Amino acid sequence: MMIHTTNDQRQGRAGRKKRSSSALFAVSALIVVAAAVVGAQAPTESWPTYHGDLSGRRFSTLKQINAGNVKSLTLAWVYRLNTGQSNAIMGGEGPDPKPGAGTPPSVKSTPLLVNGVLYLSAPDHVWALDARTGREIWHYFWKTRGGDHIGNRGVGIYEKWLYFLTPDNYFVSLDAVTGKERWHKEIASMKREYFSTNAPIIIGKQVIIGVSGDALDVPGYLESRDPESGDVVWRWNSTPRQGEPGAETWPDEYAMSHGGGMPWLPGTYDPDLSLYYVGTGNPNPVLAGQSREGDNLWTCSIVAINPTTGKMAWGYQATPHDTHDWDAAQTPVLIDGVIDGRPRKLIAQANRNGYYFLLDRITGEHLVTSKMIESANWAKTINAKGQPIGDPAKEASVPGTLVSPNTGGATNWPPVSFNPDTGLLYVGTTQTFSILYLTDTDKRPQGWAAAERNVGNIGTALKAIDYRTGQVKWSHPLAMTATGFTGGAMGLLSTAGGLLFGNDGGGNFVAYDPLTGKPLWHAGLGVNTGNGPETFLLDGRQYIVVGAGDALYAFALQQ
Amino acid sequence: MRRPRPRLQIATKTAKSAKHAEKPFSLRALRPRRLFSFALFAAFALIVVGTSAQQQALTAPTDTAAVERGRQLLAQECGFCHGSNARGGSSGPDLTRATLVMEDENGRQLGEFLRAGRPDRGMPAFDLSATQMSDLAAFLHAEIYLASNRRLYKILDILVGDPKAGQAYFNGAGRCASCHSPSGDFKGIGAKHDPVTLQGRLVYPRRGGIPGSPAYEDRNAVKATIALPSGGTVTGAIVRLTDFEVTIYDAAAGQQRSWLRNGDVPNVTVNDPLQAHLDQLTKWTDADMHNVTAYLAGLK
Repeated sequence: MMIHTTNDQRQGRAGRKKRSSSALFAVSALIVVAAAVVGAQAPTESWPTYHGDLSGRRFSTLKQINAGNVKSLTLAWVYRLNTGQSNAIMGGEGPDPKPGAGTPPSVKSTPLLVNGVLYLSAPDHVWALDARTGREIWHYFWKTRGGDHIGNRGVGIYEKWLYFLTPDNYFVSLDAVTGKERWHKEIASMKREYFSTNAPIIIGKQVIIGVSGDALDVPGYLESRDPESGDVVWRWNSTPRQGEPGAETWPDEYAMSHGGGMPWLPGTYDPDLSLYYVGTGNPNPVLAGQSREGDNLWTCSIVAINPTTGKMAWGYQATPHDTHDWDAAQTPVLIDGVIDGRPRKLIAQANRNGYYFLLDRITGEHLVTSKMIESANWAKTINAKGQPIGDPAKEASVPGTLVSPNTGGATNWPPVSFNPDTGLLYVGTTQTFSILYLTDTDKRPQGWAAAERNVGNIGTALKAIDYRTGQVKWSHPLAMTATGFTGGAMGLLSTAGGLLFGNDGGGNFVAYDPLTGKPLWHAGLGVNTGNGPETFLLDGRQYIVVGAGDALYAFALQQ
Repeated sequence: MRRPRPRLQIATKTAKSAKHAEKPFSLRALRPRRLFSFALFAAFALIVVGTSAQQQALTAPTDTAAVERGRQLLAQECGFCHGSNARGGSSGPDLTRATLVMEDENGRQLGEFLRAGRPDRGMPAFDLSATQMSDLAAFLHAEIYLASNRRLYKILDILVGDPKAGQAYFNGAGRCASCHSPSGDFKGIGAKHDPVTLQGRLVYPRRGGIPGSPAYEDRNAVKATIALPSGGTVTGAIVRLTDFEVTIYDAAAGQQRSWLRNGDVPNVTVNDPLQAHLDQLTKWTDADMHNVTAYLAGLK
C-alpha cells in the first residue's frame, strides 16, 4: 500500500498532524465552552451540543449574515462523506466491511463545532473536519454487527472526549483530537431489535443517551453514563414497573414491560430548574392497543427529569393510549415568555400527532393545545388537560381505516426553530393519509400489528406558530412534483439577522423571512437538506453549515 | 392495463417510520412456507433497488423445512402451556417475547435451558435431540422475525362492505360516476386487482416511483400551465415546482423544459387530475370506503 502513497495522501497526513496539535491546544478551552452551553444564550463561536445550546431553540444571535446581505451568501466549501476504509481509524465488533459496500449514508446529524473543528457523524462513522476548509482531519469507521442504519443524530463532547451511539447499540468514546477510540460499551440488545441513533447530551458530568427500536415489543429507557468509565449512572424507564406511578395506566406488568416508549431524540435542559426535558416514543405494540388498555404512561410524553438522579419531576402525555405511532420525541423547546401578562418558563412542542402543545416547564401544567394541520382526523375531542383523545373508530382495522396523518406524522424528528424576536416557532408539516390494516387480531398482538398503505397528501408547508396561542401566523407551501406535494418536516435555524434557514421540499436550501415566510435566498443543492442547519463565527466570519444527501455544505458571505 | 409492479417509496425516510414498499402483490396467496422465501426475495429486492427501507437486525430464516418441523414440534410439546402459536397459553408465557429465546443462537441457549427445565416454576426438563432443539429455535426465531418485519404482515380479508351501499355511494354522494363507469373504465376491475390494491387505488389512484417509469409520464401526473413571458401558455406534467423553478415534461416534444421563477413570474397554474380524489380524502367514512371496495371487487 505504501508504494502507492500519493502526494495528496502525504499532504493529508502532514496536515492532519499540524491540525491535531492546534486542536490539542484548544482542548483546555472546552470546559469554558461547556459552561456557556447551559447559559441563556447560545454560544456564537462554537456549536458544542446537538441544538447549539440546551434550549432546543436553534436561534443564533449572530447577524453578520442578515436579511440585507443574504443575497451575497455563497458556498465556502463542500465535504462529501468519505466512507472509505483506507485512511480510517477502524473500530467495532462486526466483520470487516466489503470495500464500497452499502449505500452512502446521508447527513441527519447536527455536527458539533468546537475550536474550529466540526465533528460530524452518520451511522457507523464519525469525522473531524477543519471548519475553515471542510477538509477531513480524521475519520473513525465502526465495523457494525448490523441493526437499523436509519440515521445518527450526532456526537456529544465532554472535555477532550467524543461520545456517539452505533446502530448495533454501542456507546463509543473517542479522543476528539486524534479520533482514536477510548472504549465502547454495549447499551442494548440488537437481537431484540433495539438500535441507537441518539446524539448524547452532556449535562455536568452526565452523558445522557436513549435507545430506539419498536419492531418488537421491548421497553424504552433513558440512561446517564459516566463520561470517564462509560458505566451507567442511572436509568429511567419510560414505562413504569409494578407499583410505580403510572402503572395504573396499563392492564398488567406484562404489557408495560413490553410497552415501548423509546426516548430516541436528544432533549433540552433548564439549568435554573435542573431539569432535563425529553420526549418519549410510541407505545408497543405500535398500531394495535387491544393488549394495553389505558393511557400507557409515560409513552408519547414530555417528561422532566433530574439529570443528576434520573428521577422524574413531572410528565405530560401528548397522546394517551396512542395507536398511530405518534410518539412525542420531537424537540421540547424552552421558551421564556409572557402569558396573560405574566412571565412564564415554558416548553413548546410541535408534535408528530398534528398538535402544538405549550406547557409550564416548572410544573408541567398544560397551557395550550392547537391543531397544526387541518387533515388530522384521528382525534375527535381534546380533554380538560389539553390532550387529544384518539377516536377508537380511527384505529387500525381489518378492512382498513383511513387516517391522517400517516404514521410518519404531521412532522417528525427534524429540529424546529424558535425565534424570540418574532415569537414564532417554525416547523415543517405534511398532511398525508394512509390506510391502516390490522393484521394481528390476537388478544396479545406483536410488533406493529398492522400494515400501512399510503394514499396521498393534501399539502406540505413550512409553518410559523405563535408560541403563546398556537395560532399559525403564516404557512408557506412547499414544492410539488408529478406525484403531488413533497417535503414536510425539515431542520430549521433562525438568527437575529432576520433569517430563517430551512428547505423547500424541492431540493433547495432557503433563507426565509421569519416574519412572512417569503424566500430571500436559496441554494439549489439538488437534494433536500437532511439535518438541522447551524451557524457559528470563525475568525470573525459567520458560517451557515447544513447537510444534504451525503454531503455537508458551508456558506459564508462573499469576501 | 399495466402489470402491477412494486411501488417503492423513494422519498426521504423519517426516523421512526421507514415508509415501506407498497405491496406488490397479495400475500394472501402465499402459504406460510412460501412466505419465508418471499421474505428472502423481498430483503434482496430492497437491497438491489437501494431504497432507504428500514433495516432489520434480525435476518430471514433460511431453512424453511426446519421452521415447519419446529412449528409442529412446538404445538406438540409446548403448545399445552405456551399456546400452539407460542404466544402464551394456559400456564406458560409467550415464548416469542422471552428474552432467553430472543437472545438464543441457533438453539444453543434454548437447548441448555430445556435440558434443565425450571422445575421450581413448573417448567419440566425436555429431552430433545440436537436437531429438534434447533428446529424449535428455527420456528421461534422465524415467528419473531415475522413479528418484527411489518413489510411482511399479511393483510386479512378486507371485503366486509355492502356492495349495494357501495354502488349507491359510487353513483351518489361519492360522485365517482362523474368520471368512472362500471361498464367503461371499471369494467372487470374486480378481477384485475386484489381487494387491498383496489381499495388503495380507489382512494388514491396515483402511481409514483415506479422503477423505469418516470412519474411525469403517468397520465395522472400533476400538471402545470406556465404563462410564458413571450405570451401564450405551455402545459405539462410537473417535474419540479418550487419558488425558484418550474420544470415540466413537454409530452409533445418528448423532453423536459424549465424556467427560473422569481415570485409569481412566470405565473404557474397547477392542475391535478386527481383533485377530486384529494378532496375526497377528507370526506370518506371508512364504511363508505369499504362499501365501494366491495362494490368494485364484484365487478368481474
